Amino acid sequence: MIRLEGVSKVYKGDVTALREVSVEIQRGEFVFLVGPSGSGKSTFLRLLNREEVADSGQLMVAGKDIGALRSWKVPYLRREIGYVFQDYKLLSRKTVYENVAFGLEVIGRPRSVIRKQVPFILELVGLTPKAERFPDELSGGEQQRVSIARAFVNRPLILLADEPTGNLDPSTSVGIMRLLDRINRSGTTVVMATHDRGIVDTMRRRVIELDRGVVVRDESRGVYE
Amino acid sequence: MYRLWYYLRETVLSIWRNLSLTLAAILTVAVSLALVGASMMIREGAARATAQFQEGVEFIVFMNPDADVEQDAAIRRVLDSSPSIAGYNYIDKAAAYDEFETLFADKPELVESVTPDVMPPSYRIVPTDRSAANVNELANQFAAQPGVREVATATEAIRQIDDFSTRVSQALLIAALVLVGVSALLILNTVFTAIGARKQEIEVMKLVGASNWFIRIPFMLEGTIHGLIGAAMAIPVLFVVDNEVMAFFQESDAVPLFRGFAVPEGFVWDTSIWLLILGGTVGMIGSAVAVTRYLDV
Repeated sequence: MIRLEGVSKVYKGDVTALREVSVEIQRGEFVFLVGPSGSGKSTFLRLLNREEVADSGQLMVAGKDIGALRSWKVPYLRREIGYVFQDYKLLSRKTVYENVAFGLEVIGRPRSVIRKQVPFILELVGLTPKAERFPDELSGGEQQRVSIARAFVNRPLILLADEPTGNLDPSTSVGIMRLLDRINRSGTTVVMATHDRGIVDTMRRRVIELDRGVVVRDESRGVYE
Repeated sequence: MYRLWYYLRETVLSIWRNLSLTLAAILTVAVSLALVGASMMIREGAARATAQFQEGVEFIVFMNPDADVEQDAAIRRVLDSSPSIAGYNYIDKAAAYDEFETLFADKPELVESVTPDVMPPSYRIVPTDRSAANVNELANQFAAQPGVREVATATEAIRQIDDFSTRVSQALLIAALVLVGVSALLILNTVFTAIGARKQEIEVMKLVGASNWFIRIPFMLEGTIHGLIGAAMAIPVLFVVDNEVMAFFQESDAVPLFRGFAVPEGFVWDTSIWLLILGGTVGMIGSAVAVTRYLDV
């Protein structure tokens, strides 16, 4: 599903974000990306949905060679990839329902699909009673659920999550992790960058540790360390 | 269908959110296109005003409407006998009236205000030697004859009209082009602001995989609509120019040739269509530049 071979990325000013990274992630895996701030976790994720372009190496995502992908095809790649952020990135002028529907609307899905799919996903993330609320009327955990719902409503093959529990307290985080786990069990590959030791140690999934852009550890049922 | 609705909704919303800048852009388009249109009409009017000087006619002797038969015959004798006159064409009162009628077919009130009786009969004269000096000398001779109201020479009259129309229409056109440039920049700015106002939305759209054109189209539509509305506002100005300004010249007695200063029926409409095309294009270009420079998709 995801394959990196000798991928390097250097930012302006000679800041090396990733150095010769080679990793393979199978369909349906759940992977934690751990490491200190600036170790290259976010860059790793941003390369996968081509928000960034690698300087060297080969990168295959969902059967596509990301390096050779023409820019007009990038949106079609992103339809296969859901993306969840630490700060949710919800649209404050839209309701919960509209925020989730937006993810389908803007890729041209017909209204009939939207009417069916959105309530289903809201049910899945447990937000049906709050469908008509606006984001600033919700708790952080609820906002993150909306953001996950939006990322997942198009049934992507891959879900990327960048510190999804970074702004949440431990008990709320557990709820979010249950949700991600559930999504993973439905067959979606999940790659999650995190600082949250408790979550990594509890879930015991594959852990890839980055340090200064280099993979220093890759364990199939790892802990945070 | 749903997509079309989406584009329209987003476009209208965006215009509404950004109303003051939008109005500035639209008004600038309107003013600049009004000037373009006026310039086109003056050019066309001038071309038609000088049309009577075709087929070698170099000067026209206008008689007083009340010139008597003897005075008229005297002119004719000179024309017939002079070796420096190659030929001439007499436009009598009735013919002058007919011409007037055709020229101002779209202004019945103007036609009604005159009768064949008050129309000046005229001789359109083709000289053997068409040099300006000779034409001027002949014109002076005729002007001195009794019963002659005035003599319009092609060289002088055409130069006058050409001068007038070229200067006015060029000045208008230069002003118009500068303003068209300004409008394009204003539209660019308006769309840029609109993009800024929807930055968050655009970020999410890119994230979930909206195609580049899906993101671009509402903004390009917005700029194009600015241009079209501006052009639509400029069109009434063309009719005012036609009905008031050009009519003023047509009714003026100062320079008889300016009476032919008119545009044919339908020309104003043709010009209107050009303005719409121009306005839409300026808007589209302005917004396309904004979209390619600031949207980064």
